[in-house]
Amino acid sequence: MPPPPNVRVSVQGVSKRFGSLVAVSDVSFGLGPGVTALLGPNGAGKSTLIRLLCGLTAPTTGVVQVEGGNPRTDRVSRSRLGLVPQQDGVFERDTVLEFVRFGAELAGLTDADAATRRALARVELSPDLDRPIGAFSKGMRQRAKIASALVHDPTVLVLDEPLNGLDPKQRRQMIELFRELGEEGRTVLVSSHVLDEVERFGSRVLVIAKGRLAAEGDFRAIRSLMDDQPLRFRVACGHPHALGARLLETGLITSVEVDGDELVLTTERAPDVRRAVARVAADLPTRLDEFVPLDDDLEAVFRYLVG
Amino acid sequence: MTPTLRIAQLVLRHQLTRARLGLWVAVTAVVVLLGIVIGREIGVDAREQQDAAAGLTFLLGLGLVVPVIALVFGSSSLGDLQDDETMVYVWLRPVPRWTVVLGAVAAVLVVVVPAAVVPFTIAALAITRDSGTITGVVLSTALAAAAYGAVFTVVGLRVRRSLIWGLVYVFIWEFFVATAASGAARISINAYPASVLTELAEVPDTGAVQGLTSGLIVPVVVVAAAIAIGSWMLDRLDVA
Repeated sequence: MPPPPNVRVSVQGVSKRFGSLVAVSDVSFGLGPGVTALLGPNGAGKSTLIRLLCGLTAPTTGVVQVEGGNPRTDRVSRSRLGLVPQQDGVFERDTVLEFVRFGAELAGLTDADAATRRALARVELSPDLDRPIGAFSKGMRQRAKIASALVHDPTVLVLDEPLNGLDPKQRRQMIELFRELGEEGRTVLVSSHVLDEVERFGSRVLVIAKGRLAAEGDFRAIRSLMDDQPLRFRVACGHPHALGARLLETGLITSVEVDGDELVLTTERAPDVRRAVARVAADLPTRLDEFVPLDDDLEAVFRYLVG
Repeated sequence: MTPTLRIAQLVLRHQLTRARLGLWVAVTAVVVLLGIVIGREIGVDAREQQDAAAGLTFLLGLGLVVPVIALVFGSSSLGDLQDDETMVYVWLRPVPRWTVVLGAVAAVLVVVVPAAVVPFTIAALAITRDSGTITGVVLSTALAAAAYGAVFTVVGLRVRRSLIWGLVYVFIWEFFVATAASGAARISINAYPASVLTELAEVPDTGAVQGLTSGLIVPVVVVAAAIAIGSWMLDRLDVA
C-alpha cells in the first residue's frame, strides 16, 4: 500500500529495547490525515510504540518525526501533538475545567478559557461540573482526557486504548468522535486490542505483534486474507447432526464436531459458509439459534499474520 | 498565568496533603515545645541562651528536621507526578523544561521555607532575644530549606522511593557524618547554612567550617544547580 499523502507522522526503522527485552523491533510507517487504528494484542508493543511516537521515550535506534520534528526535543512538534494516555491518572483534585485549562495555558493559548470550553463541548462535558475529576466515572474521565488532548487544536491526535472500560453507548459516541476528527483532516491514531472496534474506526490499520509491524493497510484487505485461512464457527440449532451432515455435503466445510445442541465447523471458505448456513438451515425443520465465528478475534488475526 | 506559575500552582495543590500538613504541625509543636522547655531551664546568662538557641537549630533543625521537611515536600513534588503517571500532562506540553522544574522548585520553597523557619524561630525566641542569633536562625533555616528543597525536588524526579533513600541520606550523611567530620562537612549542604548561623549568632562551635559569604552563596548556587540539573534530567526522562 502506498504511504499516505501529507505524511505528518513518520516512523523509520524504530526499535526499543529494555535490557534484553525488545519491545519494538525495526518498525517503519507513515501516517497522514484520517483515522488509523493501531491493532495488537496486549503486550504486543502498542503502548511502547505510542510512547516512542509521542517522544515520551527515546528509541534505541531509528527516527520518529511528528510534523517534521522530533517530539522528544522539538517544542513545535509537541505543540501539534495531542495524546490520550492509556493510564487512568489525572489531576484528581482538579475540576474538569481546571484540568483541561491547564493544557491550554501550558500550550500558550491566548484565550485559554474559550479553548477549554470548546474542547469540553466537543466531548459533551459541562464546564460547570464542580466535583473533582477523581470522582468522575471512567467514561467521563476518558472524555476529560480527550478534551485535554484536543484543547490546543493538534493536527496529530494519539489515543492509547481509549475505549477501555466504556459502556457500549459511550464506545459508539467515542468512535463517532474519532471519525469526525479524522474527517476534519487531523491525523488520528487509535490503539486497540479489540478487532470489532477497529473495524468501526476506519479502513486503515497498523497491526503490531511481538513488537513488529505485522501488517499495514486496509482493514478489509486483511480480513479477506483471513477468510482464506481455516476458520471455525459455532452453530447452535435444534438438529445439529442433520445440519452438520447437510453442510458436509456442500463441500464447504472440512470438519464438523457436534456437542449437544451445538456444532463446531471448520472451513477454509469462510465467506461461502457464512452465506450457506442460513440457506441450508432453512431447508431443514430446525431453527438457527446462533452462528458465531470462533476465530474472528484479534488473536486469530495475529496467528494468521505472525504465523 | 505564566507556565511556571501554573506548574507551581499544580505542584502546590498536589503536595499539600493532610498527612504532610499533619506531619508539619506535629514537628512544629515538638520544636516549639522543646524551645519553651529549654528557655525555662536555661539560666539568665545571655551567652548561654544564644548557645542553646543556636545548638537547637544546628543539631535538631539543620541536621534533621529541616532536611526531613524538605525531603517530604520536595521529593513528592515532581515525584508524585511520576508515581501517579500524570507527568505526561506536563511533559508533553510545549514549554521549556526549565519552566517545569522552576515551577516545581518554587512551589516546594513556598512551603518548606516557612515550614522550616517558623518553628525554629519561635523556639529560638523562647530561648533568647538576641537579634543576631534570631537572624542567624531565620537565615540558616531558610537557606537550608531552600537548598534541601531544590535538591530533593530533583531527586524525586529520578529516584524511586526517594523518601526512603532521602531519609537514609539525611540520617547517615547530613546528621552523623557531616556533623562529626569537618572534611565531610565541606560537601554537605548542612555546613553552609550552619556557617551563617555560627557567624550571626557568634557561637564558637557548631562544627561549621565555612565563612559567612560562602554560607550565603553556596545554598543559592545549589538551588540554581538543582534547577539546571533537573531540567537536563527532565529532558531525558522516560515518561510513563
